[in-house]
Amino acid sequence: MNIKEELKVVGELKGVCFGARSMGNAPKHNTPITPKENFVRFMKGEDYMWTPCSDDFVTVIPREIPDTVARDFAFDLDIPEEIIHAGGKDMFGIEWEYVVSAGGSMVRPGNPLLINDITEWEKEVTFPDIDSWDWEAAEKRLAPVTSDDRVVVTWFFNGLFERLISMMEFENAALAFVDEDEQEGVHRLFDKLCDLYDAIFDKMKKHLNTDVIYFHDDWGSQRAPFFSKAVCDEMLVPYLKRICESAHKRGMYIDFHSCGQVELLVPCMIEAGCDIWSGQPMNDRLMLLEKYGDKIKLNLSPNAPMVFPKTPEEAEAAAKAYDAALDEFMSTYGRFMTSIVVSAMQAGNPKLYERVYTETREAFAK
Amino acid sequence: MSKVQEIATAVENGKVKIVAGLVQEALDEGTPAAEILNVGMIGAMAVVGEKFKNNEIFVPEMLIAARAMKKGIEVLTPALKAAGTESVGKLILGTVAGDLHDIGKNLVGMMIEGAGFDVIDLGVDVPADKFIEAMKANPDCKIVALSALLTTTMPAIKNTIDAIVASGLRDTVKIMIGGAPVTQAFADEVGADGYSEDAASAAELAKKLLG
Repeated sequence: MNIKEELKVVGELKGVCFGARSMGNAPKHNTPITPKENFVRFMKGEDYMWTPCSDDFVTVIPREIPDTVARDFAFDLDIPEEIIHAGGKDMFGIEWEYVVSAGGSMVRPGNPLLINDITEWEKEVTFPDIDSWDWEAAEKRLAPVTSDDRVVVTWFFNGLFERLISMMEFENAALAFVDEDEQEGVHRLFDKLCDLYDAIFDKMKKHLNTDVIYFHDDWGSQRAPFFSKAVCDEMLVPYLKRICESAHKRGMYIDFHSCGQVELLVPCMIEAGCDIWSGQPMNDRLMLLEKYGDKIKLNLSPNAPMVFPKTPEEAEAAAKAYDAALDEFMSTYGRFMTSIVVSAMQAGNPKLYERVYTETREAFAK
Repeated sequence: MSKVQEIATAVENGKVKIVAGLVQEALDEGTPAAEILNVGMIGAMAVVGEKFKNNEIFVPEMLIAARAMKKGIEVLTPALKAAGTESVGKLILGTVAGDLHDIGKNLVGMMIEGAGFDVIDLGVDVPADKFIEAMKANPDCKIVALSALLTTTMPAIKNTIDAIVASGLRDTVKIMIGGAPVTQAFADEVGADGYSEDAASAAELAKKLLG
């Protein structure tokens, strides 16, 4: 084993743009097996060689999916300027608005609701015709990034609770979870959403070569989950289970993106079959790794602020801050390297990749 | 169990369908409207708030308790008016300019209503002059509550407080602030009278600020 030789850059892999910002091209390393092969082995727990990390992944979210533009989350190539920060209608026709202060889109409170009566939502909701989205155009345009050896991650907006919120606002959605007159309507809607999401997953696999669905559903605020474990078990887990099955039967994995203090609900994610959870730092992630590290992997990265230095001094300060964050990350999470994947969001950072690759390659070879 | 206790239990457990009937029964039995309000409604919501703070219940249970209380209040209001019972006080609430987030603000409004206040909710993305306009239109307002979810909109809290000071109305109200990035230190820095970290604590703070 010659790690220096394995880390040698033997090519360049095309990078995508996140909105107006280029993510930069990624180095192709001289690894003994491909990043994708290593990732699959890692997820199966079989003969993996290093912890999947940053440059091993490429994120694609094509603009042909209406929610991509509505929510301002295009990870794409040749992004037209007019769709950046544009907002607009999502796949159900709900209007999203880009909010500068938030750096993202949201549905303006007070806008007309799509669902006014969840018990009769069938009268108000028209499901999208996903065949009318130009999947072939997305496939052709993104082929240069989806057909190499990297793990293709496709973000999926919106999940189940987030979708319900977009359709009937937060309070109505939360109430519908516990109001016995409304619960049945929610079950019927989620059942149909599962069918829709299954069909979209099929397109993603076929046209984008997706390996990991990064499935968005925020379940908590900064201090607590939005709902109890019992409510989650009843209202969400059966459907999240179907969503995980939709991914698994196509050889894809679910990275469950759920913000907020949701430690209490991690068993629900495990029960549903989520492969990875991307959670926020306000959760006790070390405790969770100790407790559940053999059942679900955590998607983590060094806790370094995202900065765009303008001067050499700023660049030097940012580099120092990143080194410190990387040291802290490795010393904190180093012993859990079989239970975490290291975020694609910090792709293009040679320090991160080299450090994680070197340390885990050496450790796993023993 | 007394009828008022029965009402309190029904409100706590979000029994929306039975609260109105129980309140009517209590009134028919001659229970004073103020007792039904203070024990059966405000008392019940205080219990709900405490359980929420302790993560024994979550947002849906809190919301459904508030919905149950509203059903009771609808029946109770004529009797309260007839008895001359007044609200605890008037409070103006809003999310500051540039910020469209309303979930936290709405939960705070609901819990403060549950504590017996009249709440005037100005909504989201509220410019400072709209708060001042509302204060002038409601000279009996005792508290202004400002919310911001984002670090990028926190400065609008300070701008709003500064504008209230400049309008000469600062001494007429107490100002409380909240939102995910807001801290007690920030409250001190911008000259707010109080800060609370969740909706239940906000209701307690509002009562405390009235002295």
